[in-house]
Amino acid sequence: MQQAKAGLKPYQGWWQHWLSRRLPAQSPITLAHKSIFILPSAFGLFWLGVVILLFLFGTNYQNNLVIGLALLLLSIFNTCIIYSYRNLAGLTLNAAQGPAVYAGEDVLYPVELTAKQAQHQIQLRYGNNAPLSAARADDKKQRLLLPFTNQGRGWIHPGRLTVETHYPLGLCRAWSVVDLANRQLVFAAPKAVMTPLSQQAAHAHEQAHLKGSLVAGVEEFNTLKPYVSGESPNQIAWKQLAQGRGMLTKSFGEPVSAPTWLILNAQHPDIEQHLSELTWTVDTLWQTQQVFGLQLPMLTIAPNSGAAHRLQCLTALAVYPEVPNAVSSGSPPVMFHTKEPSQTQANAATPEKPTSSQEQHNG
Amino acid sequence: MADRQEIITRHTLAWLLLVNIAVLAPLHDKMTHWTLAICSICFVWRVGIFSAKVARPPRYLVTLLALASAATVALVTSQIGILNGLINLLILGYALKYIEMRDRRDVRAVVMVGFFLIAITFIEKYSLWFTLQLTLVATLNLAVLLSLYRENEAMVHTAKRATQLLLQSVPLALLLFIVLPRFPPLWLVPNANNVTTGLADTVSLGDINQLTRSPALAFRVSFDNEPPQHQQRYWRALVMEHYDGKSWTPSAAIKQLEANPSQAKAAQRQRPVGQALQYHVIAEPSHQHWLFGLDLAYSPSDGVINLPDGRLYAISSVEQQYQYSVASYTEASLDSQLSEAQIQGNLQLPARSNPKTLALAERFKQSYPDPQQRMAAMMRYFNESPYYYTLQPPPVGPQQIDDFLFENQAGFCVHYASALAFMARQTGIPARLVTGYQGGEWNQSAQYLSVYQYMAHAWVEAWLPNHGWTRFDPTAMIAPERVEQGFDAFFNPADSYLQERPFSSLRLRQYPLLNQFRLSIASIDYYWSKWVLGFDNQRQQQLLKRLLGDVDSTKLAILIICTMALIGVAIAYSVGLLQFQRQPDRLKAGFDAITALLAKKGLPRETDEPPQRYAQRVATHLPTLAVPLQRYIDCYMALKYQPHSSSERQALQQQITRYRRQLRLAILSLDGRQATR
Repeated sequence: MQQAKAGLKPYQGWWQHWLSRRLPAQSPITLAHKSIFILPSAFGLFWLGVVILLFLFGTNYQNNLVIGLALLLLSIFNTCIIYSYRNLAGLTLNAAQGPAVYAGEDVLYPVELTAKQAQHQIQLRYGNNAPLSAARADDKKQRLLLPFTNQGRGWIHPGRLTVETHYPLGLCRAWSVVDLANRQLVFAAPKAVMTPLSQQAAHAHEQAHLKGSLVAGVEEFNTLKPYVSGESPNQIAWKQLAQGRGMLTKSFGEPVSAPTWLILNAQHPDIEQHLSELTWTVDTLWQTQQVFGLQLPMLTIAPNSGAAHRLQCLTALAVYPEVPNAVSSGSPPVMFHTKEPSQTQANAATPEKPTSSQEQHNG
Repeated sequence: MADRQEIITRHTLAWLLLVNIAVLAPLHDKMTHWTLAICSICFVWRVGIFSAKVARPPRYLVTLLALASAATVALVTSQIGILNGLINLLILGYALKYIEMRDRRDVRAVVMVGFFLIAITFIEKYSLWFTLQLTLVATLNLAVLLSLYRENEAMVHTAKRATQLLLQSVPLALLLFIVLPRFPPLWLVPNANNVTTGLADTVSLGDINQLTRSPALAFRVSFDNEPPQHQQRYWRALVMEHYDGKSWTPSAAIKQLEANPSQAKAAQRQRPVGQALQYHVIAEPSHQHWLFGLDLAYSPSDGVINLPDGRLYAISSVEQQYQYSVASYTEASLDSQLSEAQIQGNLQLPARSNPKTLALAERFKQSYPDPQQRMAAMMRYFNESPYYYTLQPPPVGPQQIDDFLFENQAGFCVHYASALAFMARQTGIPARLVTGYQGGEWNQSAQYLSVYQYMAHAWVEAWLPNHGWTRFDPTAMIAPERVEQGFDAFFNPADSYLQERPFSSLRLRQYPLLNQFRLSIASIDYYWSKWVLGFDNQRQQQLLKRLLGDVDSTKLAILIICTMALIGVAIAYSVGLLQFQRQPDRLKAGFDAITALLAKKGLPRETDEPPQRYAQRVATHLPTLAVPLQRYIDCYMALKYQPHSSSERQALQQQITRYRRQLRLAILSLDGRQATR
């Protein structure tokens, strides 16, 4: 787990420690008196200055109405403190799982907001990243994707989320810093490998262009596709039709040859470079629909193909040298980062088993 | 930085247009023509920006306007005074910031200057009516700030929210207003160069005439006990001891005392002993120093000097409503001994003037050797001779008193008083002219006396051995009603003080019902002056004593803390922070009420019987109830067991209330025969 802690001053360390005891990591979290801080903003201090000025003005001119106006402004400041508190109290923040990305890209952390009563102009941001603001939060759930600049790989924890509001008059800043325990998986940044794939492979094969790829065949069941008229009735998934899922065709794949094995060399001089290259290779093999396996010092992933397999391999590479299941106590990502949105949706719809990596490891 | 947060929305721009007018309009009489012109340019440009006709003002325009503003202020400050100069400077700053506003920071600056301008307006406009109007302006100013955070909202809603915010803040402000101690002025502040109103320190034959035409309020008085009779209400303000043949002026010694307040403060009179009439005066701003008191008046108030001639004098000029307490010693004699200089000063007459009057005075002197009898005889002379009291006397020549006494034989108070004082001095009785007000309108409901400018009056004080200064009012001899019943008994208001004021509320006096209304409004204004404008440490003590009995600091602190906590809770509740979980109970209570009603009709609900089944059972027995009951039960189940958003819940709650009423009516309208079936 990585966290940007560079340049922390001693008092900040104490502050973080105090916060972690007062507001432990948790999701969802509902803001209440324990988690909301309020201080006057710069404008609020200016406002108080004007109150003092008006009071002196009223006193010097012995004018009760000016003094009254000063006191009214002071009282409005007081009311605004209550309003600011109310504008955060009862706000529920829930971290959702966001799309997995590669290192070097902005990580997007989805946060869902709900509020018991309507609340206005709430800003959310991670550290020094660009803030996002919700003009209104109410009992209708809304999702904000909060950007977080990141260079590292693995499970990235963005730190504490700053939730703040200046509503209603900008006199007070009410804020909270909450830890939503929302780490996100970041794959190693892919780097293209110049050496041909064949040299990496453990076993050379004469049919290099077909090696490890999956061609349409009848041997291995691969996936279900929508029925296209003219296809063989043998391939229609009758069972699924009976279940009311529509006309589907069973497609079968046939491995052409022995699968490719990708092996991590733990003694590689630049291990990060090595991981980046392997990430690129996994993506390339996945895109060309080849069957491949991944071998790490502590983990072996059996040869397979498909989106779930790619995810498994990339996860293992991202968290190296740790082993995925040891750290993935939470649910693994359900979305994939790809360049094509349509494919993302298709992949997102693919259900997967949370325990798959565990099974792999045990096997 | 063109952050999205920093853009001024159209919503805010609309509010700014409105608030600009609202803030500047009450200050229109303070603005010079140039200021008004620059403000107008800025406003028109803003309207142009709002309606997308022009872009942001070019740099040179703003610079030009700034230069013009600086020039105007520099040029006119010497004419209009420092305070008015500062006000114009602030207004111009407001206008310039307004035209070149770019981001939210500028909006905030404009709002804060707006609040300051409201405060400045309060210096001269302090009536209840103006306070309400300026509170509205303050609300609009708040709405501007609020609109920064409520971008896409109808203006009505923003206004409502701003009003709500303001109203929620009023109780705490009120509490602070009551308990916070008041301090004396911390340093000297400039005052506006205003035209003085009311009495002048020079009186010549023809002067009070102008005052007599004004229906403006001069001061108000409340008495601790019974108010004095009408003919006793002689409010002294100025004593004129010097006559040069043309006009009466105060003596040089008094003028010197008035010029050095610290010296006057040191030399002021001691409090007389004896029976005193206690009262409190609220003087309207006159921009002058003299205050008003009956006979020998003594004021213990700070800021009031008790001058040796029995008068009251304010250390700083009366720029706003000013309150002071007075004790008048009507029985005590004023100056039982006079110094030689005083006697000489009050016998002084211009050489070789008014020979006819001198001759008349000589006759009185010979016929009445006793000063008291002589004064009485002179007073009788005015009564017996054919003199005529008028507000439009014919003009007099250089021998003023001769012309008046023997040629015109018509005049008003100043004429008669001048003539009497002149004759008294000629016969060797020290005499002087006193100006002030005579009379007052009694407000029965609020128990106070209003004295108007048209009640200005002049009379004579003559010094009699063993009596001191004694009041003689020759006007009472010519027009006794004027003194006994007041100015209004003698003159037709429409011909005198209302002639040039077609809209004065005093016109309503002719109509009893409307006059009652006018007096009620005046009472409210009086209480406003007394308890709000004049709320000082003394009133504070009075109020706290009335509310809490004997006040000690612990008791006061506890009370303040409790009230603050209570106000905090009230605000928290009103913004929806505290919920006392009443909704579910109300739902259940409504249902229980219905079952209780049905039980009376012979159909009690069995324990643990589901509402749905109970409804069916009731419907089989009482088919007329089937529809309303089913509707109600469906709604009840939906509210009790289904999740809803707050808006849906609210709609359902309204619905179930309506259904329950209908069902209740349906049950109650069943006749007994049906129920027993």
